[in-house]
Amino acid sequence: MKLLAATVAVALPVLLSACGSAEKPVAQANQISTPGVLVADAWVRATVGAKDTTMTAAFLSLTNPGSTDLKLTSATSPVAGLVELHEMAMKDGKMVMQQKAGGVTVPAGSHTHLSPGGDHIMLMKLKSPLKPGDELPLTLKFSDNTTHDLTVPVKAFAEEEEHYHPTPTPK
Amino acid sequence: MTGKPSRRQLFGYAGAAAAGAAVTAAAAVALDDGQAAPPSASRTISPYGAHQAGVAAASPKFGELVAFRLLTETDKAALGRLLRLWSADVVALSNGRGAPGDVAPELAVGNAGFTATVGFGGRVFELAGPRPGGFDELPGMRHDRLQKEWTGGDLLVQVGADDAVSVVHAVRQFVRDARPFAAPVWRQSGFWNGTGADGQPVTGRNLFGQVDGTGNPRVGTPEFDATVWDADGGTTLVVRRIRMNLETWDELTRSEQERAVGRKLSTGAPLTGVNEHDELDLEARDADGRPLIAANAHARLSHHSENDGRRIFRKGLNYVHDAGTARESGLIFLSYQADVAGQFLPLLARLDAVDALNEWTTTIGSAVFAIPPGFRPGGWIGEKLIG
Repeated sequence: MKLLAATVAVALPVLLSACGSAEKPVAQANQISTPGVLVADAWVRATVGAKDTTMTAAFLSLTNPGSTDLKLTSATSPVAGLVELHEMAMKDGKMVMQQKAGGVTVPAGSHTHLSPGGDHIMLMKLKSPLKPGDELPLTLKFSDNTTHDLTVPVKAFAEEEEHYHPTPTPK
Repeated sequence: MTGKPSRRQLFGYAGAAAAGAAVTAAAAVALDDGQAAPPSASRTISPYGAHQAGVAAASPKFGELVAFRLLTETDKAALGRLLRLWSADVVALSNGRGAPGDVAPELAVGNAGFTATVGFGGRVFELAGPRPGGFDELPGMRHDRLQKEWTGGDLLVQVGADDAVSVVHAVRQFVRDARPFAAPVWRQSGFWNGTGADGQPVTGRNLFGQVDGTGNPRVGTPEFDATVWDADGGTTLVVRRIRMNLETWDELTRSEQERAVGRKLSTGAPLTGVNEHDELDLEARDADGRPLIAANAHARLSHHSENDGRRIFRKGLNYVHDAGTARESGLIFLSYQADVAGQFLPLLARLDAVDALNEWTTTIGSAVFAIPPGFRPGGWIGEKLIG
């Protein structure tokens, strides 16, 4: 057991270097048994020029260096009236966007990528349009009760617009 | 998009750690419960550290420098946002991942010795605070024929890698992400071969055929640190675009070419020595009493013993610039030093006055940038100045 703890302690800096901008790496390094999820490469799609400027999506990469699966359970941002975790799923032969039941799993010892066309964090009821070059605060909550406060850049992206537009969220 | 990555994907970036192979093996056992794959030599260079990683890194095979003009509406707060997102791009691209929001992430590949270095021109300090003591613009030199399209700039991104696709792709992301804040004013790309036929590092040659950079202080020595780093861990970079007249150079005999430099073309050894790194004997004379290394030879004029001990850390990228069938050849001369006015300028003035090579070279572009210190996970480039 002692050996295992030691190897995990060694593994953590490796994953930090792999995934870059981890939040509070020092605090996490002290929690060897449950190192928590590392967050990297976060960005939000700009809404300027879009048909509907009240909603957009945030994308990022999550790494779980621990030995237990963890989940991203919720996200909040002061710029959005409502934030949901969404997935793209096939329904009646059509790709639709829907809320992700139970959150986004980050498997032990693995990565999960939230990216255009896949799972994403949906920011709705935006208080104002988001321009490339803006930044916004985003707080992530995980199943191990950790939270990550991020500052996320807004970037232009020519993703098919309908992916992030009012396909009404199924109840 | 949840997927179990291969062990290589998960741990493929480990090589930058000091004991890369051992760490990778231990981590694989801990997390994968399987046999560790045999570690392969990694060319990944960590973007983190006291200094920006590209400065002391070996010369990349391919490099591109892009200078930007800050848009008039870009204030100090906006500059901070740009530097934060560029820093995130540097981290991702250095590790072989697409930048956040990358339009072509498949073009980012790991293990290519990738570095990206950010620099500040004078305008940044008008916005953000006092200039570092070692940062100064250069006055015009007598031999300069500066062209606006290769001169100046408010910001610099310098990208290097051993793969040209990685370089071009990264520059595309940096330029795209800068669009709300800054627009390119010039771009220069070039190439360098710092690897010998046996795979071992060599100094490399410019397009005159000269071994170029022999006199550099060695990375990791106190001499290097004193030459390059200021008290904060930053430095300054002088970029000079030097056009070479290969047609007239080629008309010289080899001994005339060697006399102009003071070194042998074959090995880069001084004309008074046998091996490349032999010390110059500036006193040695031939049978007629003439100095073996001529009074106006480049190697003599630029030698630190002739410059009150002043040194610089030199790098370069060869370039060619084609317009139809006409080719211009030259060198993107890069000089790092803690103090531009104290170290570089006296040397430049001396070479401008009498360097034998001036007959075949013309500087057509010039820019100086302060290179801020490095950054750590959670931090960003320029945080101390702008944050």
